[in-house]
Amino acid sequence: MTGLLGAGSSPLDHVVQWEYVQRGGLTLLSNQIAMQILAAVLLILLFPRLVRLASTGDTVRDLTPRGFGNFIETICNYLRNEVARPALERHTDRFIPYIWSAFFYVLFCNLLGLLPLEPLTRPLVRAIFPHAHHGIGGSATGNIWVTGTLASCTMVMIVFNGLRIGGVRYLAHFCPGPLWLAPLLVPVEIIGLVAKIFALCVRLFANMVAGHVLLAVLLSFIFVVGAESFAGGLGVGVLVVSVSVAFYMLEIFVAFLQAFIFTFLTTLFIGQAIVLHHSDHEGDHGRAKAAHE
Amino acid sequence: MIDRTKQLVLMVLPAPVLLFADGAMAAAAEDSPGLFTGNLGNIIWTLITFLAVVFVLGKFAWGPILRALQKREEFIGDSLRQAKEDREQAQAQLKEYTEQLDKARADASAIVDEGRRDAEVVKRRISNEARAEADAMLERAKREIATARDSAVKELYQLTAKLSTEVAARVIRAELDSKAHERLIEESIEELARLRESRDN
Repeated sequence: MTGLLGAGSSPLDHVVQWEYVQRGGLTLLSNQIAMQILAAVLLILLFPRLVRLASTGDTVRDLTPRGFGNFIETICNYLRNEVARPALERHTDRFIPYIWSAFFYVLFCNLLGLLPLEPLTRPLVRAIFPHAHHGIGGSATGNIWVTGTLASCTMVMIVFNGLRIGGVRYLAHFCPGPLWLAPLLVPVEIIGLVAKIFALCVRLFANMVAGHVLLAVLLSFIFVVGAESFAGGLGVGVLVVSVSVAFYMLEIFVAFLQAFIFTFLTTLFIGQAIVLHHSDHEGDHGRAKAAHE
Repeated sequence: MIDRTKQLVLMVLPAPVLLFADGAMAAAAEDSPGLFTGNLGNIIWTLITFLAVVFVLGKFAWGPILRALQKREEFIGDSLRQAKEDREQAQAQLKEYTEQLDKARADASAIVDEGRRDAEVVKRRISNEARAEADAMLERAKREIATARDSAVKELYQLTAKLSTEVAARVIRAELDSKAHERLIEESIEELARLRESRDN
């Protein structure tokens, strides 16, 4: 990161996508795609091993939380009891695998983006792809195409399950007022649905980009001042690095927070589509609003 | 509706800011890709990696976790229910045993009381009988003493009369027929009895 900044590059350099392989307008491999693949491979390799516990033959011992799997299980249990159950009620266990997957996928993409992998992997990438400018690194969730696809998956889950489980009542939900108002209400409701998905996509993207850009801008001050005087650069460097460490801590928190918010809203939207109570309409919107704020 | 508008504005607002930033940055560094760089390739890779995570973890990670959570929930629920039942049963038994203990205690004290009462009765009876027997013995002894004394007295009278008669016959040397002799003895006894009565009184 600092190397690039020192070379006078843009602070956006490590949040944008650097293509390695492109065929017919399709990016086949890039730094962000590599990070996505890394996240998925880590999840697929680690999680089944971590959660599997050898049976001891003792019922109570088998049911007692233990080992590192307990850490994952604690998060899963929280998402299931505190996020999914209030929104999905009796459908909780049907959707919880999707919700857990979404949370950990987004979380891994967010967290891996915080690792300073780029300078380390640059020589390797350059060796394989001589035209590449950038090593592997950066948040996959800092790409709006990625967050957009994830948000679209949520929309598919909402609409598909709304129709499958809610059926006619889900469709009726698009016209909450009298029938003659339908020409007005139905488009508004559809726009509302699309807006929710759009917000989901932009929120994750913007949060991931913003933190990285902020850090890059802060660190670039060192070089801006350092170009004028070495002592000034050193002074600013001490200040900026200490502030950057604090921001980095904040970034770790934001990585968890945004993964949680993405999952929470996905759950809430699916819940609104499939758990249809006549009187609960306002309540759902109230909860959605609370989540937005 | 106002909330929805606010929501929309909040959602759309960051987009132009980011677009502006992107444009500015892209202008600053000509060869850098834009902030929104991407294409169908990213969509495809996202779908592949995300769906792989959903399906593989769904089968090998979430399944075991979900089953473990459900089993644990069930086990905890069952244990709590069982504990509640056991406690209720224990309380009922405790109540039953307490009642039984109270009853046993009451029975025991009743038995002791009864025993004491019986003993009292027996004691009184024995004491009465003993007293009665003692009285009877005393009475009999008194009677026997009286009889013995009477016979002794009588014997003494007879002996005295006989001796007196012998002494008198010897003294006066007079011959007395047996009839007169008998009358004299009777008179002497009566005389002695009178004397005794007057002395007793």
